Amino acid sequence: MSTMQTQVKVTGLVKRFAGKTVLDGVDLTLAAGEVLCILGPNGAGKTTLISAILGLIGADSGDIQLLGQLQKGTTRSMALRQQCGVMMQIGSLSANLTVAEQCDLFSCYYQSGYRATELVSIAGLEAHAKARFGRLSGGQKQRLLFALALAGKPKLVFLDEPTLGMDVEARRNLWQQIRQLKQQGVAVVLTTHYLEEAEQLADRVMVLHQGRFIASGSPAELKALTRYKLVQCCTALSDEALLALPAVLALSREQGTVTLQSSHAEKTVLALLTQDSNVSQLEVKQVALEQAFLQLTAPAAKHSNGTKEHAA
Amino acid sequence: MSRLSIYQKEAWYDLISVWRTPGFVLPALAFPVVFYVFFGVLFSPSGSSSHAAYMLVTYSCFGIMGPAMFNFAMNIASDRAQGWLTLKRLSPMPVSAYLLAKMATSLVFAMLIILMLFSVAAIFGDVRLERSQWLGLALLLLAGTVPFALIGLLLGLTLSDKAAPGVVNLIYLPMAFLSGLWLPVTMLPSFLQQLAWVWPSYHLSQLGLKLLAMDQGQPWWLHLTILLLFTGILVMINLWIFRRYAGAKS
Repeated sequence: MSTMQTQVKVTGLVKRFAGKTVLDGVDLTLAAGEVLCILGPNGAGKTTLISAILGLIGADSGDIQLLGQLQKGTTRSMALRQQCGVMMQIGSLSANLTVAEQCDLFSCYYQSGYRATELVSIAGLEAHAKARFGRLSGGQKQRLLFALALAGKPKLVFLDEPTLGMDVEARRNLWQQIRQLKQQGVAVVLTTHYLEEAEQLADRVMVLHQGRFIASGSPAELKALTRYKLVQCCTALSDEALLALPAVLALSREQGTVTLQSSHAEKTVLALLTQDSNVSQLEVKQVALEQAFLQLTAPAAKHSNGTKEHAA
Repeated sequence: MSRLSIYQKEAWYDLISVWRTPGFVLPALAFPVVFYVFFGVLFSPSGSSSHAAYMLVTYSCFGIMGPAMFNFAMNIASDRAQGWLTLKRLSPMPVSAYLLAKMATSLVFAMLIILMLFSVAAIFGDVRLERSQWLGLALLLLAGTVPFALIGLLLGLTLSDKAAPGVVNLIYLPMAFLSGLWLPVTMLPSFLQQLAWVWPSYHLSQLGLKLLAMDQGQPWWLHLTILLLFTGILVMINLWIFRRYAGAKS
């Protein structure tokens, strides 16, 4: 890994819109053959970050290096564009052109890319080659846009929510294709709302929140960052009694079911059973990446107050 | 792939994409012809071929303005809204290929309109012109699409895809009327005749009428200078907006 070439290096990137800081000193590196997944709630700055890296918007300060070259302002050289592939979140093609025509047009932009027919098969749309873009389903459109992102056999690929609107099978196929890119040594930047996608594909997950990366690591490491488990049950105990149980951090109630956040589930469960032997529907759950991510991005104030409010 | 092939393909696919939009093709081609048949040929006050010749120039101007303005304004606004333009800007396609493709499409439509109106004029309106006059008029009209394409580009870069068609009509139709393209400018009230100087379409039609010695008598270079100035200013505004657009929001 250490010998791998660094394809993207971003340092101290700052972007403000109308006085609001959208990117607040972002650092990021990405090596060839690595898949980086950027997670974050809506408005965290994911699309702004990708737009700034691609030169669609100008950054206020910070350095951007792509394929070893320092980028200036919003200009990106033709040579660089030949080697980058992009799939943006709102990417729609001319509704009146067919799949084969779009592929023909895009393949002619690149000096050493795929041929039009190859792009059609990358998209898996051989049967729809003569269908106009406007008549394709949402998932088929995404597949075509993905294929067009690969038109120039890029070294660096940006995928902004690539599997949006795809069915399960199409999504799994696309994941397979992203894994193949990785094997070919392509560096991939991926943003997604599907946490399963991040767990499946990413070498590294970075969580963007309010314009900063607040956590970074492998999907497993990120999960471990949230050291608690969830204890769910139906019990007659009061909130005060439950919060007094060992290792309990917080609790919530929903239709008679209590959910406890516990930093040591075994201790909590043991104490719970000694105090209320009539506990039913007991479950201990691992926190999914999704919840780990929600916990990391939840406003800090709520965190500390949550327990006290219940205790009061 | 060679650069030339990018320009060719871009132009070809822009043309077929537009051609597959009946809502654009039919009005763009039918309106000038129908209007000319009615007001230039059938309802000619004296039934004279000179009326038909005069109206040939003005309705040809009217005809070529439409596709140039609409193709640029509507398609660029919708390409922007749908992210198509963003995707193209990120690809190694030169921006000039995109703009020249739109220009080529406008010219193809202009050419079709010119051919149809010239045919109607010669066959049904008994318009007889010198070969040099036919040719000169056609070339003038083709070159005359440029300022209107630039108006369309300006609107396409600034308006939303929903607002663009309405705003183009709001500019196109009054401008055509006020510059004397529907009725001869001499039939307009005198203050409107003076106001006509504001519109590029007035100067283009006067240049065309000059070829037939039917213009209002101002020197040709005055009309040409005004048109060139107008074009130059539009190029500058467009460049400014394009840079701002490229530098600001996606």
